[in-house]
Amino acid sequence: MSSQPPSQKPVRSSRKTSASAPPTLPLLFEIGCEEIPARFLADAQNQLGKLFGDLLVKHRLVEEAKHSVQTYSTPRRLVAHVPQVFARQPDTVELVTGPPVKSALDENGNYTRAAEAFAAKQGAEVSTLKRITTPKGEYVALEKSEPGRPAVEVLGKILDALLRNLSFPKSMYWSPIEAAAHVPVQNKFTFVRPIRWVLALLGEGKNAKVIPFEVAGVRSADKTYGHRLSGSRPIQVKGFRSYLDGLRKHMVEPDPAKRRERVQQGLQESLEGSGLRAVADAWLEDWVVNSTEWPRGIVGEFDPRFLELPREILITVMRDHQKYFAVEDSSGQLQPRFVAFLNREDDPKGLIRRGHERVLRARFTDAQFFWDADQKIPLRDRLPLLEKVTYHEKLGSYADKVRRVRRIAGMVCEELRQQGKMTDADSEHALRAVELSKCDLTTHMVQEFTELQGIVGGLYARVQGEPEQVAQAIYEHYLPQSLDDPCPRTVVGAVVSLADKLDSVVSGFGAGLEPSGSSDPFALRRAGNGIIRLSVEALPGLDVLNLVKAVTSTEAFAQGDPLGNVARFLRERTEQYFEARQGLRYDTVRAVVHSFEAWSPPARALERARALEPFTRTEEFQALAAAAKRTRNLLKKSATSEDFGTQMTVNESMLSPGPEQELFRAYRATKDTIQQMGIEGRYEDAFRALAKMRPYVDCFFDKVLVMDNDLALRANRLCLLGELNVWVFSRFADLSQIESTASTSVGAPTVENNRQPINEREAALHDQKGLEQKT
Amino acid sequence: MARPHLNQTDQAPLTFQDAIQALSDFWAAKGAVLALPYDLEVGAGTMCPETFFRVLGPQPWKVAYVQPSRRPADGRYGENPNRLLKHTQFQVILKPPPKDIQEVYLKSLESLGIALGEHDIRFEEDNWESPTLGAWGIGWQVMLDGLEITQFTYFQQCGGLDLEPISVELTYGMERIAAFLQNVDNVFEVRWDKSLKYETLRREEEFELSVYDFEQADPATCRELFGAYEREALRLLDSYKAAKGGSVEERGKEPSPLASSPSLSAQSPRRFPLRKVYELGLKCSHLFNILDARGAISVTERVALIARIRKIACDAARIYVERLAPQPEVQPA
Repeated sequence: MSSQPPSQKPVRSSRKTSASAPPTLPLLFEIGCEEIPARFLADAQNQLGKLFGDLLVKHRLVEEAKHSVQTYSTPRRLVAHVPQVFARQPDTVELVTGPPVKSALDENGNYTRAAEAFAAKQGAEVSTLKRITTPKGEYVALEKSEPGRPAVEVLGKILDALLRNLSFPKSMYWSPIEAAAHVPVQNKFTFVRPIRWVLALLGEGKNAKVIPFEVAGVRSADKTYGHRLSGSRPIQVKGFRSYLDGLRKHMVEPDPAKRRERVQQGLQESLEGSGLRAVADAWLEDWVVNSTEWPRGIVGEFDPRFLELPREILITVMRDHQKYFAVEDSSGQLQPRFVAFLNREDDPKGLIRRGHERVLRARFTDAQFFWDADQKIPLRDRLPLLEKVTYHEKLGSYADKVRRVRRIAGMVCEELRQQGKMTDADSEHALRAVELSKCDLTTHMVQEFTELQGIVGGLYARVQGEPEQVAQAIYEHYLPQSLDDPCPRTVVGAVVSLADKLDSVVSGFGAGLEPSGSSDPFALRRAGNGIIRLSVEALPGLDVLNLVKAVTSTEAFAQGDPLGNVARFLRERTEQYFEARQGLRYDTVRAVVHSFEAWSPPARALERARALEPFTRTEEFQALAAAAKRTRNLLKKSATSEDFGTQMTVNESMLSPGPEQELFRAYRATKDTIQQMGIEGRYEDAFRALAKMRPYVDCFFDKVLVMDNDLALRANRLCLLGELNVWVFSRFADLSQIESTASTSVGAPTVENNRQPINEREAALHDQKGLEQKT
Repeated sequence: MARPHLNQTDQAPLTFQDAIQALSDFWAAKGAVLALPYDLEVGAGTMCPETFFRVLGPQPWKVAYVQPSRRPADGRYGENPNRLLKHTQFQVILKPPPKDIQEVYLKSLESLGIALGEHDIRFEEDNWESPTLGAWGIGWQVMLDGLEITQFTYFQQCGGLDLEPISVELTYGMERIAAFLQNVDNVFEVRWDKSLKYETLRREEEFELSVYDFEQADPATCRELFGAYEREALRLLDSYKAAKGGSVEERGKEPSPLASSPSLSAQSPRRFPLRKVYELGLKCSHLFNILDARGAISVTERVALIARIRKIACDAARIYVERLAPQPEVQPA
């Protein structure tokens, strides 16, 4: 108690009312809702658990947020079950610190007016004031005890706060009939869909009590509702058990994990014995789980003549538009069947199955119609139509985009041809593919199934007699869209994809559409990630930065000056990719991308990062990292730091014998060695050579005072450090970025100085002293 | 069609006109007024004044009506079994929405002879937005055994204005519903009444409208008409602004707006032909749709045209709400 820091803020400490564990009660909370969109449900359930746990801890109804709240959800309900909340909050004692003793007490030990004012403000007598000792001295303080309140009284407010704090990507407001017309719209309660009932129950069985509470005109009660088909009569709830039993009796499985089991089982059982299997689809499985209360799989059939349509189109129609699982045989051949999930127990008359079959037949007929109609105008004749398809308001049409992408693709091809990685024929194919890549946007098929853009283009190009290379490149040119997507399989495809994405990024930045914070409406981060991945996995050696320079210097991108911003953006994408996808440590990645060799070509940066990582925790590199930081600080503090080692060179005759000359000799030898190794891509050898510099560096710092009073000597030593900084400490990796293992903190280093271990700080002080001797 | 009927009622399935009748009866019984179809080309029942204006302001409103709706780009010359340039919406607006609106809606399906206990009805997320009307809402598409039969929308904004209270809009797609009830795959096979099929009444029209909208519409003329309708709307809107501006200081001298005396100033805001302004905007909207289907709209034009239509719609909405607001008391002359 007595060591509390002086503060005007109350400091709370819980005090248990008795030595034994306080009595607890189970709590059950259900928000009954009109159908919540499937894509929001899992996140809503997570939020519910987290927010509720935090609120219960904050209001002293549970000890620990973790694992205290179990959550469930269906499209029509969000559910929280807390097996144990305290029946009443523990009493608390608040220690409120007042004025310091020297102003609270006069020389006779009587309370002053300051003390009286403090007590009065807290609603207490001065006689109840205490003295406490803090690191800042003695203060008067007041212990205010607050008795805990019964949970049932506190929970209404908590549940209200809980509902107000759940957030959804898209919410709405709705007016209860008795709504006050004078409530301004922005103050109205919003939620994902209208709330129609609230179940809020504390305790179990006969002692269960409704937690009184009202939201959006709905009063809490001890009732829930079953599946729509089970009738609209309320189900009386007496506790969690009776809740589960009641729901399951009325065709509702509230636990998404159990529904998932039903779905997986349904997929298997419905096809059992047929030798067929459902095409695995995690997204669709999630969707079914989150859009049903009582899922049940049924198998439907369609006319085999539709199998003439490409698999991609058939699956898209079934999956994206009808939410059916496609069915294939053991060799992966699509079969004229599908699995649909009902939200009910069965389909006794087969009416629902026939309904689904009829809808699918209509959909496939449409697709067939689109396919046939689209062939009347081949892709190559559709280019002029692109003039009328908007790419972006500020960036013109898709025809404009294709022209820009073509220019970029030309540059990439040229570069890769010089590297011997592409033939002339490849280049031609790539440019042809670029030209046709967006033409499918004008087809019926893509207008109907937008998610098939690119794929449809590739399929059409193939049947319209374009070279296979071209068709394949168009087909794959949106890849990779996510970290898990594969890259295009051919160099030609990779070039088209990269040029397309680079145009999106550069022109996007030029038009001010760059991502900021969580907002990235143009999905430029995804495009950026794609660029880095392609330049590492599909087109290794491509110098992306050089390419960006060339692209931004052309007229088509005259808008703004995107080079600096795009370069920084792509560097960040590189870092993200190295960490997330390549599993490299944060400091390794920072060291590599901030080196003089920088992040581009990304494939080379990756090689360096892989070579560096094993060294970063060695004694040698730890010492070199400390020396690098120290060097950096010294150079920073010297007015003309930029010049040392770059503009000015070391005057060898001024080097004093011993550690200084030895360091210089070692450095000279190493510099030449690692330069050659770098050219040959032998980064591991280079880092090994660097490690051998350690004793010379250590010895130098140990024995030689850089900030000598003799200014010429000082300048010469700074020159030496400047050269070291360039050639040893930052050439292939910026060693100062390497995290010190002496500091225990994990995660991203922010300000280097915060993380310096004691000896480093001492070293800095030592250097600082030398500096101050003269200045 | 040899397949058994999907709905297992004893009676023959409803014809197209019976289905419209059944929904009309159902909603009339729920207290909705049965309005007439609107006599202008619209893309959706939402665009009719009985929806667009009536969802604004605080007055409760319940209405139901059939609305033929034109979407030139959806035209398929009457060849596609599921696509129509002109389709039939059954539109219901309830303001404010009752708390049991979903249950009431499901009952309306039963009135069509759909035995809910034998089918699978789902409410799948589908939010609605009309940039030309400055309107949007949150809701679902209602799926009946995988078939989308209704748009169910809680309006949030209309004419660029927040709604208070909100309305619920139910839009039934009558062709799909009838095809479902009658168990036919091709909408032209739907029986309109006991003897005539949908195709007898509509096939030629579908073909001709498709020919015009896709091939023969003259873009220059359409653009001219667009401009002319827009000019007329803007001229009226300007006159309203002028009259309002004048009336601020002259309000005391004006006769009671309730008296329809011939001395009433031609410039009086009360006499402003608001609905005509809105109709001119709808004309523009339809011309825009034709130009779009014709493939005659360029990149920048598209955005600009939508903004021009929206301006007319939003101005009309604002004036409508302005006129709903209690008028300041008028001194006797």
